[in-house]
Amino acid sequence: MIGILDYVWLVPLVPVVCFVLAGLFGKKTPQGGGYIAVAGAAIAFIIAALASIDYWTSDYWANNQAYTVDMTWMMVGTFEINFGVYIDSLSCIMMLFASFISTLIFIYSIGYMDDQGEKKTRYYAEVSLFLTGMLGLAVSSNYLEMFVFWEVMGLCSYLLIGFWSFTHPEGDEASFRASSAAKKAFLVTRLGDVCLMAGLFILMYMVGSLDYADIFDNAAILADKYGKLLPVAILLMFAGVVGKSAQFPLHDWLPDAMAGPTTVSALIHAATMVKAGIYLIARSFPLFVQCTDVMVIVAVIGGVTAIYTASMALNNMNIKRVLAYSTLSQLGYMVLALGSGAYMISLGLEGGEHAEELFLLGGAAFTAGVMHMVNHAFFKALLFLGSGSVIHAVGTEDMRHMGGLRHKMPITAYTMLIGCLSIAGIPIFSGFWSKDLVLEAAFAPYHHGFGDAGTIFLILFILGMITAFMTAFYMFRMWFMTFCGKERGHCHGESPYNMSVPLIILAVFATLSGLLMLAFKSFGTYGVLESLAVGFGFEFPFHTGGETIVQIFKEIPTYIALVLAIAGIGIAYKLYVATPYDEEAFKPENHGALYNFNAKRHYFPELYNWISWKFGAGIAGIVNAFDKHVIDGTVNGLSNSACGGGDGLSAIQTGYVRDYAGLVVVGVLAILAIFALIFLYGGGF
Amino acid sequence: MIDIAFFLVFSAILFGIGMFGLITSKRGVVTLMSIELMLNSANINFVAFSTYTGNADGLVFVIFTIAIAAAEVAVGIALMLNAYKIQKTTDVDKLSTMRW
Repeated sequence: MIGILDYVWLVPLVPVVCFVLAGLFGKKTPQGGGYIAVAGAAIAFIIAALASIDYWTSDYWANNQAYTVDMTWMMVGTFEINFGVYIDSLSCIMMLFASFISTLIFIYSIGYMDDQGEKKTRYYAEVSLFLTGMLGLAVSSNYLEMFVFWEVMGLCSYLLIGFWSFTHPEGDEASFRASSAAKKAFLVTRLGDVCLMAGLFILMYMVGSLDYADIFDNAAILADKYGKLLPVAILLMFAGVVGKSAQFPLHDWLPDAMAGPTTVSALIHAATMVKAGIYLIARSFPLFVQCTDVMVIVAVIGGVTAIYTASMALNNMNIKRVLAYSTLSQLGYMVLALGSGAYMISLGLEGGEHAEELFLLGGAAFTAGVMHMVNHAFFKALLFLGSGSVIHAVGTEDMRHMGGLRHKMPITAYTMLIGCLSIAGIPIFSGFWSKDLVLEAAFAPYHHGFGDAGTIFLILFILGMITAFMTAFYMFRMWFMTFCGKERGHCHGESPYNMSVPLIILAVFATLSGLLMLAFKSFGTYGVLESLAVGFGFEFPFHTGGETIVQIFKEIPTYIALVLAIAGIGIAYKLYVATPYDEEAFKPENHGALYNFNAKRHYFPELYNWISWKFGAGIAGIVNAFDKHVIDGTVNGLSNSACGGGDGLSAIQTGYVRDYAGLVVVGVLAILAIFALIFLYGGGF
Repeated sequence: MIDIAFFLVFSAILFGIGMFGLITSKRGVVTLMSIELMLNSANINFVAFSTYTGNADGLVFVIFTIAIAAAEVAVGIALMLNAYKIQKTTDVDKLSTMRW
């Protein structure tokens, strides 16, 4: 106990202070506030690390509790909304990797964004705010607070993807693409956010509070009391995840988001934004496990996203796009693992003879999802920063103009190789462990014959296996095309140290983070993964890291996945290294129908446009007509009648005294006549 | 004693003539004369009622009214003279320089 846990609220506060400082005074400091942003992220990381150590050595952790402190934010009647922190192992892990990777990305940005001039100030202010969003999300103590930070991230992603909206180094066409990509990201995620908000309203109605502690304590009661409403709430919350974490069918904004600077892509894909959706599932796990059927849907969406988006990466020529699709595919893995884990635990909660085993497997699946999120953060940050380094040196994102770069930029080439090995799932590298656990999690319900959805999970497992093969293939296709063969373009050589050093650090973590999380007896006597089981209101019986490793190597799917991954790498080698580069084959007119279909993203952007034109524009037209005719009509009608009435009445005002006198006489006579009538017929007053 | 109705009918007729003149005539001097007629019809009513009720208040009022009417006519005629000097007419419809 060193007492820093009480100051954990500083973690999101430091970057937001940096946002203000960099925004206001960034122009006066060197690198347009870059050092402020780096310092903020580094300080946030240090505080997060100290607070995490504090938590893991505290009584809260030992007693299976979350550390939570709340203050009242607002009162609406008897309904109280709090603002506070909720720290358990999941939040600790989230804070740690988000702030650590962001620090490295910010350092890298100083080199990468060096030539951006005054716009750097804007960049550094916005990335600081982005980090605030993620860290705030990680420490929030209730859903509303989380939603606030969730939206902060939505805003920052919009601003940063559209960083080049006004002037793009590649001309107007590119800046137009950037602004439309930003709009797309904002609107598509907004669709999910609206659903999430609706889900939270239902939750508020059911529980009367949005505090994690209240909701998780009452989760089982809720399931009994609101058997129909709870699945709806959870589905709506999951729709928020689908938007934020770019799951099928709302996946299409993420590839477009590549229009921003590469560092922003790294930030969105590794440390922030898309990880928020995964975090929401992991955080809401005690709630999600109450609905067995919904969890099947979650797992299916994850599995479908994984293979579907992997297929689009197979023939893409843009180095960043390949990475974007691989992110989508890996996010699908995470959702698949979490869905499958929640499915098994929900079956376990129903009791029965297998309950113990189900808890064990479900817990393993949950940790697989979270672990893959962390590992993915490391290797994807590495890959994106590596691709940024390549783009920086070559000046294009098109892999057809790269090739043979490993001699000119060895650090970038070999660190990226580590990233590729990790994502492809080669043993020792971090991706291997978590990907294997994910696939095992998908396989488990069928393998052990749990529940009615076994066949569905078998299909998902097979899809996952094919995805593993595709992943290995397209990642190495990218690496071979970029770094092997003959040089096809111009290259400036290796990037400066402030770019290559973060790459090396990330490469170390991309290699070791899996093993560290499995085996490292961290902060006391427990492994990081085991600590995840804490604070959920129920306990997972847990494999230790060592047992998990043994388990991994005992299962047959491990070896199948490994063979598939090596086959993928082999085919990539055969096609892109052993076969000489044939320029003709890459020309658009020589592409087959399937190739074009895939390259056009299965016409998903067209589908989005079609829906928005047919459906969105129709509604917009009706709203516009209502606005023009009903609302404007009322206002204009009122003002017109006032004007017309005034004109009409002013005609009486002739300015001739005798007219006025005549009117007075008429008036007097009229009054007299009325009085006379009253007297004659009414019998007096 | 003459019935009060005769005085009231006489004053009403006088008032009606004055009113008619005021409404129909365009000439400024005639307008002033019409106003004078209407004032005096009111005076006749005052005097008549005062005599019939034996209350002197009405008579006092008439003195005031005559004095004020004299002042009003003095101002009115001065206005008309000046208007005539400037516009060469006393037609009130044509004295419209300050009209909106």
